[in-house]
Amino acid sequence: MISNKAKKEINSWVEKYPEGRQSSAVMEALKIVQSENGNSLTTELIQEVADYLDMPGIAAQEVATFYENYNHSPMAKNVIRVCHNISCMLNGSDELITHLESKTGVKTGEVTQDGNICVKKVECLGACVGAPMLQIDDKYYEHLTLEKVDAIIDGLKEGK
Amino acid sequence: MFEIEIDGKLVNAEAGEKLIEVTDRVGISVPRFCYHEKLSVAANCRMCLVDVEGAPKPQPACSTPVSEGMKVSTQNEKAKSAQKSVMEFLLINHPLDCPICDQGGECELQDVAMSYGSNVSRFNEGKRVIADSNIGALIHTDMTRCIHCTRCVRFGTEIAGIMEMGGTGRGESLKIEPFLNEGIQSELSGNMIDVCPVGALTSKPFRYELRSWQMNSTESIARHDLVGSNINVQTYKGKVKRIVARSNDSVNETWISDRDRFSYEGLSHSNRLLKPQVKFDGTWKEVSWEVALDFCVKGLLRSAGESNSMNSLGVLASKTATLEEYYLLQKLVSELGCENIDYRLGVKDTKNTINLESNVKLSDLEKIDHALIVGSYTRLEQPMINHRLRKAALRGGTVDVINSMQFDFNLALNNENIIIPCEIANLLASTLKVVLESTNQDVPEELNKLTITKSATKIAKKLLSSDASVIVLGEHVINNDNAKNISNLVAMLAKNTNSSTLNLSKTGNSIAADIAGFFPGKDGLDVNSMLGKDMNAYIMFDVYPEYDFHNSSTAIKALSDKNSFIVSMNSFYNNNVADYSDVMLPISSYYETSGTHVNIEGEFQTFAASVKAPQESKPAWKVIKVLADLLDISGFNYSDSSNVLEEAKHNIKQGHRAEESINITDTNSVEVIWQPSPYSIDALLRHSDSLQETKIGQINKATMNSSTAKHLNLGDKDDYLGVPVVISSLVANNCVFINANKSTPSEEQA
Repeated sequence: MISNKAKKEINSWVEKYPEGRQSSAVMEALKIVQSENGNSLTTELIQEVADYLDMPGIAAQEVATFYENYNHSPMAKNVIRVCHNISCMLNGSDELITHLESKTGVKTGEVTQDGNICVKKVECLGACVGAPMLQIDDKYYEHLTLEKVDAIIDGLKEGK
Repeated sequence: MFEIEIDGKLVNAEAGEKLIEVTDRVGISVPRFCYHEKLSVAANCRMCLVDVEGAPKPQPACSTPVSEGMKVSTQNEKAKSAQKSVMEFLLINHPLDCPICDQGGECELQDVAMSYGSNVSRFNEGKRVIADSNIGALIHTDMTRCIHCTRCVRFGTEIAGIMEMGGTGRGESLKIEPFLNEGIQSELSGNMIDVCPVGALTSKPFRYELRSWQMNSTESIARHDLVGSNINVQTYKGKVKRIVARSNDSVNETWISDRDRFSYEGLSHSNRLLKPQVKFDGTWKEVSWEVALDFCVKGLLRSAGESNSMNSLGVLASKTATLEEYYLLQKLVSELGCENIDYRLGVKDTKNTINLESNVKLSDLEKIDHALIVGSYTRLEQPMINHRLRKAALRGGTVDVINSMQFDFNLALNNENIIIPCEIANLLASTLKVVLESTNQDVPEELNKLTITKSATKIAKKLLSSDASVIVLGEHVINNDNAKNISNLVAMLAKNTNSSTLNLSKTGNSIAADIAGFFPGKDGLDVNSMLGKDMNAYIMFDVYPEYDFHNSSTAIKALSDKNSFIVSMNSFYNNNVADYSDVMLPISSYYETSGTHVNIEGEFQTFAASVKAPQESKPAWKVIKVLADLLDISGFNYSDSSNVLEEAKHNIKQGHRAEESINITDTNSVEVIWQPSPYSIDALLRHSDSLQETKIGQINKATMNSSTAKHLNLGDKDDYLGVPVVISSLVANNCVFINANKSTPSEEQA
């Protein structure tokens, strides 16, 4: 269920678009609903968002599956987004990802047993200049090496 | 208009045209997958890349507008190499499973790959695999074969009006799928099979049956609605195997409804009546045609009695016969001196029903700027007409509705009036009063007392302010207590607002029945009077009493009267028919006989038989002809059905004309609208298993609001007139809207 608080927030986005174009607010609406639901979306929630914005369910689903920032299963406390597009790939993102997988003990997209960390492969984050790079919350970590990654993971494990 | 140069040839082009439209028109072939002339341009498959002089890169022909002096090459090195590269990319993830793919042999990808593909793949990596989704009984999915052209997605949003398929994920994980695995709901869904350029969406009932080149194809006409969509019937060894759309822009464009596409399945149903049968001492015996027809003739002559008068013969037919069948049967009966003849079996009172002409062309329907729909859920009842109205709405036209239930229209409604059936006439009368007053005309006495409501003013203003408006009158009104008034009011409203009219209440091939004069003569009895009397004999043409009659139990009771001699011609076996008949003659069903369908424009669409009638069943027009010969009636020397058509055309009868009179009666009880669900309107559809499995096929509900339910003392687990109750606020108060795939009510309760 979408809470009244979330609806209010969604409405403030709907108002920014011309009348009848309420579906333009779908990205923000999904984000709001996701954060309310412990950082993940369910099929029911996506349908509710679609109904609320008077758009077909599949159209909301298209958006929710296109962007990496929507999660479709219960999400970890810390999501590490590793870019694997061309610049990062050429600079060793594959190696980084393998390293991260062995370090955390789970595959990309999966959540560690303690619910702390999830590594996600994402598309270009626009920081090619600092490749290879990853993102945690709003922070970019660039020019990564295996050592730097180790330090980041250890930091997350200690709850920093 | 200006000239452009394509492959060295000068061709004419219109400003605003896309390159591909020009190449298609002049017959230059450009490969394509995502482009479809009836859908929006996506330009995502890139297959149609061509070289445009001056452009640094090859341009997609489907999205490149023409400009004066343009020089295009579709064949030079640059274009060819671009097309080949795109082909290679498209084949990367496409499985090499043509031998087990239903699309093989009629596959756009296969064809284009033959000309543009390489014979060796450079792709050694693993191919992408996508799990299939179950999208219902009509369409089979093999999504691994999908090349993401998005034609099915665009078809859903642009033509069907409900977005059901979508592209989820991105990049390599992009999938075309429905959101919830609930099955496709659209009444036009089968067209996705036609638009899919690969084997991702194929016909489920046709799965693994045959290759396209093994079948014969005959042009035919679909007869389930008032449009008469043009189709190709594909047959193999005397069986109809598949039906696909045939383009005809003035009728159905390139689309057909699921009803027209999949009903053929019923033809091979085990319930077909295949041998003539005669009832001896209460038991049915299979006999030869000679014996059966002889029995008919003797029985009919005996029923005439000593006076040799056929006054006590009744002739009834369903709405699905061909023009030729109506004409011949009518001719036979009137030669016998009988005028008791009728096809309006579902009408409660034939003197109080709709008589309205249709005077708008289907292709003009999409150009109207306003439509007023009265008593119809056009989307499910007349899908192709609804499609034209939807196009009009998308172009900026407005649609007002007067219905007794809120329906899930796939077009934007301007003003929806949900009122109880007995108020429809009043609302229309009040609208007419507004129209007459605002055009400074005399208001007839009958209208003087009426108060003008706000909704009437709104409806009237819209009709008056529109240049090209149409009033659509639907099936829900045929048994309205004020049906005749409503019909007359619509005619008068149309006249005074300069609107056209569209009468959707005469479904199937009813228009042909009218033209053939298949209605009671001057002193003849109509269907209800026949049933009310003890007729000595009946000839029943493809009648299935529990579905066709307005009140099935009264009709069955009347027909079961032992004294009547009943000849039934049917294409399907039916228990009730077997109970009351004395002879059952097996006749052809759809696609098994030649004939003519007359559509809502009055267009005669003649078709040939696609297959022979199975086993001993015969084309009905031949049966009637032989019956006439045996009865010693002259004038039945037809060698084929085209002679019948010629004669029928020279004897076109006029149906009853609309009158300008209004006399509205008030009713004050709960009113029932009985509308068969879309896939149970005729015998063939009722025997098409796949259609019956779909969501639309499953519709069987008596919808009423909670206060009506309370009044009738019903809950949502009860049945009303044998149909499960659904309580919903969508229905007008004091009204029950029944959409049933079962028989008509056994008892008149309303």
